[in-house]
Amino acid sequence: MLPLSVKDDEYKPAKFNLLLKLSGWFRSILADKTSRNLFFFLCLNLSFAFVELSYGIWSNSLGLISDSFHMFFDCTALLAGLAASVISRWRSNDSFSYGYVRAEVLAGFVNGLFLIFTAFFIFSEGVERALEPPDVHHDRLLPVSVAGLLVNLVGIFVSSHGHSHSLFNGSVNHGHAHGGHEPESKHGGHGHSHDGHAGHGHSHDGHAGHGHSHDGNGGHGDSHSHGESVLLHIIADTLGSVGVIISALLMQKYDLMIADPICSMLISLLIGVSVVPLLRESIGILMQRTPPSLDQALPECYQRVQQLQGVYNLQDPHFWTLCTDVYIGTIKLLVAPDADRRWILSQTHNVFTQAGVRQLYVQIDTAAM
Amino acid sequence: MTCEPNRVRLLCMLSLTFAFFIVEVVVSRMTSSLSMLSDSFHMLSDVIALVVALVAVRFAEKTHATDKNTFGWIRAEVMGALVNGLFLTALCFTIVLEAVERFTEPHEIETPLVVAGVGAAGLLINLLGLCLFRGHAGGGHGHSHGGHSHGNKNKRGKTGKSQKAGNGSSGEETNNLVASHNSPGDARPRNEISSTDSADVQMNGSPHFEEMEHDAASQLNMRGVFLHVLGDALGSVIVVVNSLIFTFVWQPCGKEEMCVNPCINSHISDHQHVNHTLVNLLEGTTMSAMKYAGPCWVLYLDPTLCIIMVCILLYTTYPLLKESALILLQTVPKQINMNRLNQRLLGLEGVLAIHELHIWQLAGSRIIATAHIKCHDPTSYMEVAKRIKDFFHDEGIHATTIQPEFVTFNSESRDSLCELSCRTQCAPKLCCGSADKPNAGSDKKASSYCKAASASGLEVIVETPEQAAGVEAGTRSEAAITVAREVESSL
Repeated sequence: MLPLSVKDDEYKPAKFNLLLKLSGWFRSILADKTSRNLFFFLCLNLSFAFVELSYGIWSNSLGLISDSFHMFFDCTALLAGLAASVISRWRSNDSFSYGYVRAEVLAGFVNGLFLIFTAFFIFSEGVERALEPPDVHHDRLLPVSVAGLLVNLVGIFVSSHGHSHSLFNGSVNHGHAHGGHEPESKHGGHGHSHDGHAGHGHSHDGHAGHGHSHDGNGGHGDSHSHGESVLLHIIADTLGSVGVIISALLMQKYDLMIADPICSMLISLLIGVSVVPLLRESIGILMQRTPPSLDQALPECYQRVQQLQGVYNLQDPHFWTLCTDVYIGTIKLLVAPDADRRWILSQTHNVFTQAGVRQLYVQIDTAAM
Repeated sequence: MTCEPNRVRLLCMLSLTFAFFIVEVVVSRMTSSLSMLSDSFHMLSDVIALVVALVAVRFAEKTHATDKNTFGWIRAEVMGALVNGLFLTALCFTIVLEAVERFTEPHEIETPLVVAGVGAAGLLINLLGLCLFRGHAGGGHGHSHGGHSHGNKNKRGKTGKSQKAGNGSSGEETNNLVASHNSPGDARPRNEISSTDSADVQMNGSPHFEEMEHDAASQLNMRGVFLHVLGDALGSVIVVVNSLIFTFVWQPCGKEEMCVNPCINSHISDHQHVNHTLVNLLEGTTMSAMKYAGPCWVLYLDPTLCIIMVCILLYTTYPLLKESALILLQTVPKQINMNRLNQRLLGLEGVLAIHELHIWQLAGSRIIATAHIKCHDPTSYMEVAKRIKDFFHDEGIHATTIQPEFVTFNSESRDSLCELSCRTQCAPKLCCGSADKPNAGSDKKASSYCKAASASGLEVIVETPEQAAGVEAGTRSEAAITVAREVESSL
């Protein structure tokens, strides 16, 4: 029979429509609450950075220009987190049998690393300034630092509402680090332009948000309890901003220029210390470590499985985290030749499902008689 | 152990670099030169990179499973490589920042000879480091380490394909070193030669297997270190070249003479005064008293060279970053074609269907695979299992976990929806496909249990009716699984 209609568009190869792809990513970003917040924060940061850059070029202030570059650097950290949130939703394919869910963990790790680099960088800057104090204009420092504190409080509220499972909330705080900056213009210089004493204050304040994000992940059953780590982070953050304000006052009243580098060194140390839990968690996941929340539950499961009828031994258990709350495990059972394998399999799966491991691979080896 | 040469090298380089860092700090204090101080911080970052690599090597030696780390610490080296790559990228960014600053506000070097001297010393140390780590960058290219290279070449022969990509990019690095600033495009023909060379040297024998895994993983780590040292060497080259040009070409403004520096746009308050003097002098006929500081382009040489160096570094760091990130993302190793593997597995006798096939790389050449295999009954399972294991061994995958599923021809109850693998939590995360085929027999208890667990707050995947039915041919099961996957995806 002759075909009654010819539909040519069915046979057209799929065109690479960039606009379509972009709008698809856009939609998926706006769909999830955390990534939406992250996206808005990224826009805020980017616009701030552009404003700073144009102002710096217009007023020919090197300090503003290089500070805007720092903000761009932070924006890349935010972008990494955002990219991870889009990528981790892609379907699994031939090259990625588990899908792309690990991207979130990786992004959290990368952001933690960048935070440490920033802390190291601020520390080295502080050392350089301590050895050769440049001229710091502290007139506008006090109101700027207070303004920065306010901006970071906003950031705290923003990220505390988004209880996300993702580890990349660290990037939100990294973005805080140079947000709300208004650096003074520098004169004469050896080009050490990061005025941002206020900036250092900010970079520390951002970490209260970090505390919240960490607790959002605390579904793992971290060693810290929820309330305790939140309190710790808030205390650390207020100390940081109080430190900035104190040093600003010191410089205004007593002309104690050394307060600036000391303050930034302290702040960089605080940043480093506060990012350590995030790093430990993501390193644990990336190193295929047994999930910390299963540490107590697993030996009991092994006991129960070994008590099943026909099971001689449980060997080679490997349990690891794929992404937050998704655990995968493989074990090998040594069973008697006359054991009911199906029953053993389903029972084993039940035992581990109760513990929270849903993807389980049980290999059954018959013991040689 | 084979890792001993690595550790010794790293320790050597670490102590040298650290000593040099101290020297640079002292010199910078004495000459009060700020550029020397910032260069010393670059050295410090080099020290940190070496420390990271050393820690990674140290950890990765513990390949035995511990309580918490059941796979051992082999992945530490991949992590070390990633950290080093990221560190390099961050450094490149800061270098770009400083270069831009120099562009807008150029300033001359105060004591170029001292800087040249220190830069030359740093260059020597870095060249030494490059020679030390050169063997690793080329993937056992160097012939200097006996048993070590034997293991390397062995591995190259056996898993030749897997190393090809690694060879390609690392071959580029050695070519970069040898032909110091050649563009990577030129290096490509030499690349081919180097890989065929190494492929020719085929030694057989598998007793060096553990060494092979270790070498492959540690190579990634050493590549990171090599790139870092390369970056530092390039930096020292730039310092030396710049200060030499400065000494010979630049005519500085002496303090006694009346001269003006037209290149530096300074913000000092006597800017106006200088302008006036300039104007007066220009109007005057005698120009001989006025001196101008040397050619301005010299001041812009430094940042330009820095930016070129950053481009080179980023280009060579990108493959390292990509490789280690892909391993950490649980990707299927490059040399394995999932489709083909699937089909060949299905072709094995006794295998009815395959679900949940996951293959990923732990580190280096250690590949892990897990799968559910559906077969007829428990008695035939033992032979099928052996066949499957041999099949995987041929592919180079030595750590496999195969879960058997048995088919019965009884009627399956409809309510055994969630089965052996209830992966309901994955649905919103899209990390896996649908559940397996339901199992037969005494599953009433299992299914009710499962349902209770799933009802306690998790979302349940509603299975398509075909899956709940039971006995299917392999192809149909695959189709059902892919259909369910399509349904779940939100993009």
